[in-house]
Parts: sequence; C-alpha cells; structure tokens
Amino acid sequence: MTTPILEIRGLTVSFGGLRAVDDVSFEVARNRITTVIGPNGAGKSTLFNLISGALQPRNGKVLIEGVDYTGQPPYRMQAAGLARSFQITNLFFDLPVSENLRLAAQVLEPLWMAWRPIRASRAALARVDELLDRFGLADKAQYPAGSLSHGEQRRLEVAVAVACKPKILLLDEPTQGMSHGDSQQTATLIKSLATDVTVVLIEHDIGLVMSLSDHVIVMHQGQKLAEGLPADVRSNPAVQAAYFGHA
Amino acid sequence: MRASHVLVALLVAGSLAFAAIGVVINDTFYLRLATEALIFAGLALSVDILLGYTGLLSLGQALFFGLGAYLSASVLMIVPSFWTAIGVTAAASGLAGLVGGFIVQRVRGVYFALITFGMAQVAAKVVYNTRALGASDGLIGVPVININLGIASLSSASPAGFFLFVLALIVVFYAFSAYVLDTPFGRLLIALRANEQRIRFLGYRTSSARLAAYVIAAMIAALSGALYPMLRGFVSPELLFFSTSGNAVITVVTGGAGTLVGALYGSLLLTVLKSVVGSYTEHHLIVIGLLFMGAVVFLPKGLMSIVRPAIERVLARRQKA
Repeated sequence: MTTPILEIRGLTVSFGGLRAVDDVSFEVARNRITTVIGPNGAGKSTLFNLISGALQPRNGKVLIEGVDYTGQPPYRMQAAGLARSFQITNLFFDLPVSENLRLAAQVLEPLWMAWRPIRASRAALARVDELLDRFGLADKAQYPAGSLSHGEQRRLEVAVAVACKPKILLLDEPTQGMSHGDSQQTATLIKSLATDVTVVLIEHDIGLVMSLSDHVIVMHQGQKLAEGLPADVRSNPAVQAAYFGHA
Repeated sequence: MRASHVLVALLVAGSLAFAAIGVVINDTFYLRLATEALIFAGLALSVDILLGYTGLLSLGQALFFGLGAYLSASVLMIVPSFWTAIGVTAAASGLAGLVGGFIVQRVRGVYFALITFGMAQVAAKVVYNTRALGASDGLIGVPVININLGIASLSSASPAGFFLFVLALIVVFYAFSAYVLDTPFGRLLIALRANEQRIRFLGYRTSSARLAAYVIAAMIAALSGALYPMLRGFVSPELLFFSTSGNAVITVVTGGAGTLVGALYGSLLLTVLKSVVGSYTEHHLIVIGLLFMGAVVFLPKGLMSIVRPAIERVLARRQKA
C-alpha cells in the first residue's frame, strides 16, 4: 500500500472547555477531491487551521506523504506542498489582481530572484498569466482586488491558493455566498484542478458535494461522524440525524 | 516610481545650481546647511523604508544615525580615512541592525514604535554618561579629511565639494532603496503591510523579510550619520535623542510617506524652515508642529501628493505624444 498524500491522526484542539476538533483521523487519496461537510460549528474550519499550521493541535499528527508536519508554521507547510484558501476572502485588496497572483506565484522562483527586477521572474509571471486566463480574470488583471465582485474575489481567492502549484490544496468554502451559476462554474474549475492536485474542500452546498466529491467526511460537534463515498454518506442515518435534524 | 525619479533629477539640478551660486558668492553657511539637510534626508529615507513601505513606525531611528556618527567620528580621530570610517560603519550598523531587528521583529504597531523608542533612549543615555565617548559634550575635534575618490581627492572642508559629494551619496541611497523596493522582496514588504496573515500562507517567512527591511534601514541611517562628523567636526549625544528620530518621522510624513523622494524634499523644507523661521523667533518648533499637523490633516500623502500627480500627468502626456 502506498502512503496517503495527507494523513490526519487523532487531531485534537480545545478552546477553553470546548473540544473544537476532537480526535479526528482520516486519510486523503492523491489527486482526488475529498470534501469535509458538517453543520455550522462542527469544527471544519478549525480542522483546516490545524492542518495548515494556523493553529497548533494539542494532540494528534499531520503527515504529508508520511512525513510528520504537525504544528509546523504555515510557510513550512507551503514548502511541503500544502496551500489553502480562506472562508472569509483574504486577499491584498489594495493591490492589483495580477500582483495578488504574482505574490503567490513568486515562490516558484529561486530565492535570489527576490533581489532582481520583477520582470526577471519569468516563471512566476507566466504562472500569473496562466491563472488569469484559467480563472477568467484576465480583463481585471490591473484592477485592485478590492474592486472585484464577490464572485470574482472568491475565484481569485482560489487562484491565489493554487498559484504556488501545491500538491495539496485546502479550499475553505470556495463557493461561499456565490450565485448558483457562479457556484457551478467554480465547481467545474475545482474539478479541473484535481487532475494534478489533491483537493480537500469544505462545502455546504450538498448538491455540489455530491457531484464533485470522490470521498466525503462528515463532522459533527468536533468529531468525525462518518466518511465514505458521497452516496453512502448521504444514506447514513447518523449523518441524516446530525445534518438535517430528526427526519 | 518614475515621477519620483523625475523629482530626484530636479533636486539634483537645483542642487548643482545652488552649489554653483554658492561658489560664485563664496558662501559657506548655506552650503553647509544644505549639506546637513541632505544628511538628515538620508535618515528620513531610512524611516520611509520602514514607515512608508513596511508599515513600521520607528521612533528610534536616531539610534542608528547616532551609531554611525559616533563610529565615524571615533574612526576618523584614529585613522583619518573616509573609506575606513564608511566601511566600519557599514559593517557595525549591519550587525547592530540584525541584533536590533531580532528584538523588534517580534512586535507590531504601537509596540514596535515603543521598543524602537526605548532602545534609542537607552543608547542615548549610555552615550551621555560614558566619559570615553565625551559624555554630554560629545566628541570634539574630528579632523578634516581628504576623501580619496581614485581619480581625484576632495576635502571635507570644501563647502561646495562636500555638498556635492553628500548629494551623490544620498542619490545613491535613494536609487538603491527605489530599486530594492521594486523587486519581489520590496513588493513583499508592501504586501506585508496590506495583509500579513495571508502572506504567511503563501510560503513566506515574514520575520525574515521584516528583518531584512530593518537591517537595510539601519544601514542607510548609520551611513548618513557617518557623514555628520565630516561636515561638522564633532558629534553630540543629541544626535541619538528622540528629537532626531521624531524630526525624521515629521520629515517623512510632511514630505509624503511611501514616496522616498518625499523624505528628501521634506528634509530640505524642514531645514529651511528651521533656519529661516529660527532666525526670527526661538519658537520655530511651533511652526514645524503646525506644518506637521496640517500635513496629517490635509495631505495624508504629504507634499508629494500635490507635486507627483502633476508630474505623472506630464509623463503620461509625453508618452502619448
């Protein structure tokens, strides 16, 4: 058996008396889309914060391709090939769209390029152009990120996360607040990403989850309630009770 | 950035004319005053790198300015060589910047301002109470030096010659800062100010970037300070006091934070005001205080927010034509 690209073992963190994430374990298969679902307050975003190095777990381990990265700072996680987006749009709002992407793509360049003129960073700039096209933001390249519509900002949020060509991409509610049409478009985009990136997704839109995911993990009150194929999870009575209340 | 370059070119042209007039009418006082303004412009430039780009308010940049001035004075009193003094200052201030940077890069905002302020005050008190450094009198009797420029040599006692030499150095500091701030490293500093939290998730070690900015600013401040004893022949503990740090911040805010060139014009303006208003009344600080308040209220981007857009328009029109 090959080692999973991402493995979570017994991850636990508490805030005060509340166990926000409680002994959560799972494995993520390479180049698949794994979705974490669960009601508000289930601990999904906290789980992402633990994996991406934003928070230190009290217990448990985060393994990337079998190597222990538990509690490493975010820049080390990025170097290990893990990037993330945020539920609340987290961009450089005063800076142009292209500069947002260039900042994220700059890590593709060797360190000494940081001291040469921007135009010398050809790989990073090529990556920016590629992403502008792929995410449909080419005509907005020179506008400040803050001037984009909500849907465009959410798309840029994903583009910034994917700019460094990560192996693992954590997307925290990429379609949050989007119209139905925009959501579908974003779903197609995510699906196309997953050919060479392993995607872990937090998503609320159940329709989207079912059509997009290869594997679903259900969280409830900090714990993992169930996991499996989308259809199996959907028909699981415990999931239905937690998610939809009593049927 | 291009508009700033034009403004620096104008400054150089004006300075050349000023120096020529100074030579013709055999002036010493105004040339030396202008030289001092340029030296303090170097200090202001270092404050602008921190405040205008990295978003860090240093209230203790006099620490490095004073360090450079005292080091340079001490070296010159033993070995009267410009390049030795500059070399020693560069190395020592780089090291001091690293040590100081390790301390201050742990904090942000108001705490950064307080710690930089505190470190400078401690250094000022130590110098003030150390007899070997002249205590409250400072170091007096720094010899006039001949600056060896390879093809020619220049005396620090020549008012016009030394003025132009300092001008050249400050332009070099400006050009270096402008270059660095437009590289990916410099853009990272700007992004850090905009959204540090996201930067951490893009794979950058934010503490290293901030430390590098702090060291660069420390070295520019110290190298500017190193020129002071060459001009005046002495150094005093006042160079390390808060008034020096505070004046540099006022200079940057009045001139225009985040423009670099604003620091240069701001320093000239403040020096002229101090000298002209100061010859009428002892209370010239009131005028400077009012100017500062006026700039903060009416011109948040300083004087450059009036001048630069006009130049940008001219540049844009030129490009079209």
